[in-house]
Amino acid sequence: MTLSHAQPITELLDVETVQSIADEVWPSLVGDGEAFVPVPVAPPAEVVSAWVTISGPWNGAVVLTCAPATAAALTENVLMTRPPTVVDDEDVADALGELANVLGGNIKSVLPGPSALGLPQIGTAPPTGRLDDVRRLTGQWRGQSLTISVQGVTVAPHTERNEVPQQ
Amino acid sequence: MKILVTDDSRVMRQIVIRTLRQAGYDDHDIIQAADGKEAFDMVAAEKPDLVLSDWNMPEMTGIECLEALRASGSQVPFGFVTSEGSPEMRDKAANAGALFLIAKPFTEDTFRDALDGVLS
Repeated sequence: MTLSHAQPITELLDVETVQSIADEVWPSLVGDGEAFVPVPVAPPAEVVSAWVTISGPWNGAVVLTCAPATAAALTENVLMTRPPTVVDDEDVADALGELANVLGGNIKSVLPGPSALGLPQIGTAPPTGRLDDVRRLTGQWRGQSLTISVQGVTVAPHTERNEVPQQ
Repeated sequence: MKILVTDDSRVMRQIVIRTLRQAGYDDHDIIQAADGKEAFDMVAAEKPDLVLSDWNMPEMTGIECLEALRASGSQVPFGFVTSEGSPEMRDKAANAGALFLIAKPFTEDTFRDALDGVLS
């Protein structure tokens, strides 16, 4: 039988794969000995997100979410800044966007292709789609909450409009 | 020698430059471009010995830049440093004339493995 709709991310990607990608990204970009620890802590009241889209057999986004202060601290690490140098909003958007970009590029490589990666965006995370089309890894870095969400889009892309509607 | 580092992310350009230095390439001139179009223009103006380029960029992507360089007759050594390292992309890069593709995240050892033959 041929599936007439895209497989949800939960059938394509397990949380261990997301963790293994984070295990490579953190020491390389954030610094030696740094880690995304998969132990959830209380979510922050205010959050900022950076994400890249993936367009192909699976359509969605890879979203990194944390508190603004955590984003600034990550940026300081990525840029190896030392006081009195401070990072500005542009640096934070750039650094958080690159973390999402590298996570997204590696996640894209384990999903069915061919697919295309969008440029990094930052702001309020896009809404999640179907409940079974979200693979989320919650954890912490230096005690601060972080979430990596691999989530389907809410609206079917244009190219799928001619497919047989699903119940 | 002169190395042109191309990435639309200033943060990633800094990380690439830092990794070059950590890998021992600290006696080279390093210049920067923010997209493929700027890199294309700088190859003509600055005559770098190596171009290290991101793939996904606004204005002109890295692969478009490489194809434009080869179409214009430039044979400048060119390598990708990109967040995507699928076999398809590696094939596409090689077919366009790239010497290597370094996938992010990378380490200084990854850089040494890719660059030793080019810069030594």
